[in-house]
Amino acid sequence: MAWDKETELRLRQVIKDSGVNLLKENLVQGTWGNTAVRLDEDHMLVTPTGLDYIALQPEDMPVVQISDPSIWSDGKKPTSERKIHAAIMMARPEINATIHSHPVYCSILASARIELPVMSDEMQRLVGGSARVGAYGLPGTKTLKKGTVEAMTGRNACFMANHGVFCAGKDMDEAFEIIRIMEKSSYDYIKEQTLKATGQSTYSDELLFDYFVSKYGK
Amino acid sequence: MKNEKIVATLVEYAHKLAEEKVCGIKDMIAMRSGSAMYVTKAGADFASLVDSDIDVVELDKAEGEYKLFADVFNAREDIGAICHCYPAWIAPLAKVGATIPAVLDDMAQIVGSTCKTSKNDSASIIKTLKGRNSCLIKEDGCLTSGRTMDEAYTCVLVLDKAAHCYVSSAVIGKNVIINGLEARLMRFVYKVKYSKKNQENLKSAEGEV
Repeated sequence: MAWDKETELRLRQVIKDSGVNLLKENLVQGTWGNTAVRLDEDHMLVTPTGLDYIALQPEDMPVVQISDPSIWSDGKKPTSERKIHAAIMMARPEINATIHSHPVYCSILASARIELPVMSDEMQRLVGGSARVGAYGLPGTKTLKKGTVEAMTGRNACFMANHGVFCAGKDMDEAFEIIRIMEKSSYDYIKEQTLKATGQSTYSDELLFDYFVSKYGK
Repeated sequence: MKNEKIVATLVEYAHKLAEEKVCGIKDMIAMRSGSAMYVTKAGADFASLVDSDIDVVELDKAEGEYKLFADVFNAREDIGAICHCYPAWIAPLAKVGATIPAVLDDMAQIVGSTCKTSKNDSASIIKTLKGRNSCLIKEDGCLTSGRTMDEAYTCVLVLDKAAHCYVSSAVIGKNVIINGLEARLMRFVYKVKYSKKNQENLKSAEGEV
């Protein structure tokens, strides 16, 4: 172990707070997301699998080995997506915090498998360019991990096809800034494309739905 | 004497549905308890729902607004909780009789590979629910179910998000639907492995007797 107890306790609280904040900011539904924070070169703390973020306690977060995520200790059973968090931390030493979640507007682009172009200077600064879509793979598989790692090359965020979004930062605050800009940019892109498709000048959910029914409805 | 845990669970989840803005004005939710069910009164406001808004009804004596819930509980022993709600993206799709395909992994896992629209009568709804836990109801929102109220509630959220994705993706580009075999595999893994322990814990916490 190359970290002290004080650091570990602080980072356990960071992970706990990250889950609660994802819920508060409407960036996750239920237990369907996970976060990780680096402890040292070869260890990270992650959220446990399938458990309520509000009820989770800092001591519930397991320590996972980055070079072999099947090895873990302390806390409760880690998220099955820990292999992706570990692969990104392994490939990117500057990354210390990661978030995987399913916010609504990111999920729309992930389900349509559309690469999100740079929508603002802030997105360019935080994400590092367009947000690609990683190849589709079933949850927990090597295909999903490989697709995500490839799509993250030179970027701090990507979509996971038909699944959600993955974000990586130098710390958890930055990872949150990235997921927020991804959700905002996704919304802006959907709005822009809807107005283009409908020829209207004001966006609303009703506009989107009415156009859908006129084009695809019975 | 009422089971206080079940009453508290129904009040908690009615408030959650209101907070998540996935209900309209005719929403009702129910939980099974032996040969009876606990169900919210027809027309009760979910945001301000209180203990006295919950009725206990024998499954074989249910009538009126309660009949659909009793019929589903009687037909499906695996179902412990039901939500009949009107989420924003579901209600219009139910009007046009759409089938929502699995466009997201979480829909495949929690809801299934498709969610079809049923005619608005108990027999049709039970038939549409065969092998599934949720359906849209023609011009009447959606019915989701689960082993626990938490699972039925999560179905509402996931289904509404999938409907939003389905509509939006079609307008801005295309829908890429998850392969049926992979969707069914994910559903199987979710039911028998991923969610099993959590659902067992929740059953006890929600007051199952």
